[in-house]
Amino acid sequence: MTMQRVVITGLGAISSLGVGADRNFEQALAGHSGIGLLQLAGERHRPDTPAAQIRGPLPELVKNSELPIFDRFSLLGWAAASEALAQSGLDATIAPERSGVFWGSGMGGAGTVESGYVDLFIDGKTRVRPMSVVAGMTNAAAAQIALRCGFKGSVNNYSSACVSSAQAIGEAYRHIRHGYADRVLAGGSEALLCYGVVTAWDALRVLAPFDAEHPERSCRPFSAGRGGLVLGEAGAAVMLESLESAQARGATILAELVAYGTSNDATHITKPDADGQERAMRQALEQCGLPASAIGYINAHGAGTPAGDLAETTSIKQAFGPLARDLMVSSTKSMHGHTLGAAGALEFVMTTQAVRHGAVPPTAFLDRPDPECDLDFVPLEARRGVPLQAAMSNSFAFGGSNVALIVSAFR
Amino acid sequence: MNSFPTVAKLLAKSLDVPEDTIQPQTELEALGADSLTVIELIFDLEEEFGIEVGDERPKLVVVQDIADQIDTYLASKAASA
Repeated sequence: MTMQRVVITGLGAISSLGVGADRNFEQALAGHSGIGLLQLAGERHRPDTPAAQIRGPLPELVKNSELPIFDRFSLLGWAAASEALAQSGLDATIAPERSGVFWGSGMGGAGTVESGYVDLFIDGKTRVRPMSVVAGMTNAAAAQIALRCGFKGSVNNYSSACVSSAQAIGEAYRHIRHGYADRVLAGGSEALLCYGVVTAWDALRVLAPFDAEHPERSCRPFSAGRGGLVLGEAGAAVMLESLESAQARGATILAELVAYGTSNDATHITKPDADGQERAMRQALEQCGLPASAIGYINAHGAGTPAGDLAETTSIKQAFGPLARDLMVSSTKSMHGHTLGAAGALEFVMTTQAVRHGAVPPTAFLDRPDPECDLDFVPLEARRGVPLQAAMSNSFAFGGSNVALIVSAFR
Repeated sequence: MNSFPTVAKLLAKSLDVPEDTIQPQTELEALGADSLTVIELIFDLEEEFGIEVGDERPKLVVVQDIADQIDTYLASKAASA
């Protein structure tokens, strides 16, 4: 069987850094952070909690009458997916049965579920909104994207915590590579900045404390004294196509997706495992058809937890050996927070832009390095004018799943 | 009781159309109100009037059909009060 090459023809993103893939990348290059004080819509609040929230109104992309079927994570998903589709210039009506959607979300319509519980358990109602099921289901965003694009091929949803959308992109890559589809809109979205979910994360004791003086600095991956992760919300998407499909329609090819490494730790439900991470990265390196030295940049998982950042430093060294010293590694989570199910896609969009523009976003606020995290973490300032042949995007999840994606300049 | 004005008001809001485009004999389909829109609308009407519409599924073609159904419940609510 001939394997298809898989190329990227569109990008989309919405996060606390702004609306649009370009805007997100520019903000990241500038080292601007979207992190601030968490503001919840309801009566209950979690004081002194940092979060990477989208504060402005969302783009108005759906009709009022459709809003009841759209949880916020679907709105974020469609914002990103429609941007990627538009950039690709694809006529969605051509061979729709050969086009699919592969989406990722950790908790789907968590906000819808929570407001249903408020109705039932707080307000004492005996019923919930009629669209609770179709808005809240975890595949709601995938389904709405497919509906709006008219894509009639496989529409799959991946819910594997923080690798959800990295997995969606990786599985979409395989799907096209093996000839099951010609085009897949892949990505993920997450919107769970609501009282119950934030409280649950807090209970796990993985959230960074609020930096009262400089709220935007609350997430400090790879820093000495880093305190944990900062929750964020986002949607991000890539239009993936077989090279044949893209060339046949004369599309602008932004970059090529050349590898999807995937593994599971099978050691602990939350504790990161350098060996598991290394396996995903090695698999990707073996698959990509490039020497490891071709990888110039890694967008790290780098959530900002003490154990996680240390494990990733180790796993990068294990996977790359002496070459690890020459790599630029940065965590853009320092600016857009940990967007959970959307994280893999958002960071893959950043990684693709880094390759396209030869510019690497920094790890923001890394002014006090942890001596144990001793790679080139691109502290504080972006690196511009750095030609990149290829770059890797890492995503690791509770549950032990690890994903490494490699994107290369298209040649 | 005539619930039509409330039906028209809520429907106009949900469909983002001017209220005066909604007449009693306006067809729901012509307004772009599908079955999910109607389920949402009936839920909002129940909240508005403090009634609970049962599980019967009358054929709702024009806007007045919804108002008629709501009026039946309002009448029995008034009778039992």
